[in-house]
Amino acid sequence: MNTDQYIEVFLDESREHLQAINDNLLKLEKQPTEIEIVQEIFRSAHTLKGMSATMGFEDIASLTHQMENVLDKIRHYELTVTTEVIDLTFAAVEALEVMVQSISEGNNGKKDVTKLVSQLKQVETGKPSEEEASVGQPPATELLEIDEYQATIISQAVNNGYQAFQITVKLTEDCMLKGPRAYMVFSNLEPLGEAIKTVPDVDEIEEGNFDQSFSFLFISTESSKLIQETIEKVSEIEKVEIAGFSMKEQSVEIPKETVQSTEDKKQTTKEKPKQSKTIRVNIERIDHLMNLFEEVIIDRSRLEDLSKKYIDQELNETVENMTRVTEDMQGLLLAMRMVPIDQVFNRFPRMVRDLSKDLHKKISLEIIGSDTELDRTVIDEIGDPLVHLIRNSLDHGIETPEKRLQAGKAEEGKITLKAYHSGNHVFIDIVDDGAGINREKVEEKAIENGLISVEHSKQLSDEEVYHLIFASGFSTADQISDISGRGVGLDVVKNKIESLGGSIVVSSEPGKGSMFSIQLPLTLSILSTLLVKVQQETFAIPLSSIIETVALSPQDIKYVHGQKVMDFRGHIVPLVSLNKVYGVSDQDDSSHSVVIIQKGDKRSGLLVDSFIGQREVVLKSLGNYLKNIFAISGATILGNGEVCLIIDPNALVK
Amino acid sequence: MARVLITDDAAFMRMQLKDIVTKLGHEVVGEAENGLIAIEQAKELQPDLITMDITMPEMNGVDATREIRKALPAAKIIMCSAMGQQSMVVDAIQAGANDFIVKPFNMDRIKESLSKVLS
Repeated sequence: MNTDQYIEVFLDESREHLQAINDNLLKLEKQPTEIEIVQEIFRSAHTLKGMSATMGFEDIASLTHQMENVLDKIRHYELTVTTEVIDLTFAAVEALEVMVQSISEGNNGKKDVTKLVSQLKQVETGKPSEEEASVGQPPATELLEIDEYQATIISQAVNNGYQAFQITVKLTEDCMLKGPRAYMVFSNLEPLGEAIKTVPDVDEIEEGNFDQSFSFLFISTESSKLIQETIEKVSEIEKVEIAGFSMKEQSVEIPKETVQSTEDKKQTTKEKPKQSKTIRVNIERIDHLMNLFEEVIIDRSRLEDLSKKYIDQELNETVENMTRVTEDMQGLLLAMRMVPIDQVFNRFPRMVRDLSKDLHKKISLEIIGSDTELDRTVIDEIGDPLVHLIRNSLDHGIETPEKRLQAGKAEEGKITLKAYHSGNHVFIDIVDDGAGINREKVEEKAIENGLISVEHSKQLSDEEVYHLIFASGFSTADQISDISGRGVGLDVVKNKIESLGGSIVVSSEPGKGSMFSIQLPLTLSILSTLLVKVQQETFAIPLSSIIETVALSPQDIKYVHGQKVMDFRGHIVPLVSLNKVYGVSDQDDSSHSVVIIQKGDKRSGLLVDSFIGQREVVLKSLGNYLKNIFAISGATILGNGEVCLIIDPNALVK
Repeated sequence: MARVLITDDAAFMRMQLKDIVTKLGHEVVGEAENGLIAIEQAKELQPDLITMDITMPEMNGVDATREIRKALPAAKIIMCSAMGQQSMVVDAIQAGANDFIVKPFNMDRIKESLSKVLS
């Protein structure tokens, strides 16, 4: 079978299911008795198994199959959820993620999973030495758990002369349609009595979602022999086990359990995600649509220019209407590219769990605003910086449980990840309640690394000192750990965020914790810019970097070490001639209009000939031929058809 | 020994089933290629046992089973299903089928089914 056409759907669905398993495992770890969660995980694993087997990815299939076996035992109460089981399942999921990733990169998704499979098998069967002994043991002694309602039915039935049986039916190994087979068992039994509870659920049984055997409680006035014979009339039955069922031992626990399970049920219904009608669209199509739309915008500007030139009432009205409609379209298109930041956030609970284990710390993660939407391009890029920052908080921020107790804090540290919209920006805050940043240590290290002088350090505010941790080659960790603190760190984060047009600030209170706050633009593809002229060329400078524009008289330009500078409100600001940077012409600068731009706390003045005005422009990349051109982030086409380069101000500030 | 009517729209499958059923010592009294013909033949031939394919033109096996059950309450009906037809199989059992076997056929499995149904 040619399966290429299904590969994308396969990958998408596999990722969804892996994510679901991840989320549910985390839940299960907190509520290890909640069998409903195990069912969910089982279903995901089962679907994965089926899909991967169809697609011919055997390693995925064999690993998921073994996961399924273990989960199956858990949901049949034959195995309890232990940390070992959870860790192992996590490891398996990780391996699956690697394989799926490798398939998405065009590889064959092969991976040696034999070790994991055998570990899972070991968990499934208990210790290997006991394997053979346990096989022969009938599981009938293990009683099914029942709830209060079922208990009432059974006790009433028993009072009326019925008997309760616990029946386990094992189908033959090669039975293909397990669901209908089980259905036949129940339909044959129907005249004899009533099935009270089944494991797994009836729906699951009828879907065939069980390994080889299923169990149920049956009340009947008939003898167990007749029941057994009736069941054995059905084909493909390997074994039937019938045992009397008494519920005395269970009745004590029942009330408590019911309370708990109803509470949990309430929770799960609350957490159920809202369903909305959606269709999957390849992101490339939306990008293409966006590109086409940008062409329309360019034509619109041309039309606007034309309607100004040929003053005509009808033309003018049409153009104005088109402008309104296209503005709405632009809004919609941008909204389409927006995806919830959940896509990035959802990997963090798992990461925090694993790392806190490695670090022997107790840490809980709270995520707020995971439905906050951001442009697709930003989402794709923001993951790594966030990972870095969270690791940083885990490693350096939160103290060890002993230290926390000494400091009179709760043993468990807390990291909060919060995303929210504000104006045209999205903010992501990473807050921890750890030790905070130690000013002395930062100063010491900065002086040691030659970032500041001893005298200079005295003048700096706390905020300014904290900001030093973003300088390159900076790490204050006492101990270089695996997780962070290899000296390449926060400066990379800062650069990445700035390349996305955002910024990052840090605040901290000693002993109370610290907060990293990231500010990001909502979208990258449409920019507000200031158009300027340099000789005959037009350039666009993003408004987000501009502080103000100034007209200089020639005598205001001063020289420091041969470098042109100006005095801007008491600060010396270096001047950069765009004419020289971009080699527009050989003529000497006569320009005295200055655009002051800022990157972090550093400023530069860009010398231009004249200002044209503010304009919304569509950012187009220069394509593969013109990659990495100094201080140019892209180009746009103006209304008159002229191509205009968009300046990357960050590159011009030193 | 039972008198058997075989229903399947594929001649190949009928041939295979006929072979197996004959080898097991039963007599194949008729063959039908869709549900309608199966009902007709069943009424005419009064077989002890009918094998019934599920997906067939004119009338499918589930509907045919329902009709035959009315006319011949004692006849045994075994559905022949393919993988992935769970719900159809359940429908057929509700309609009165006695057992089902899954393609591709395997002699032992058919033997088991025939002996259980006929016992």
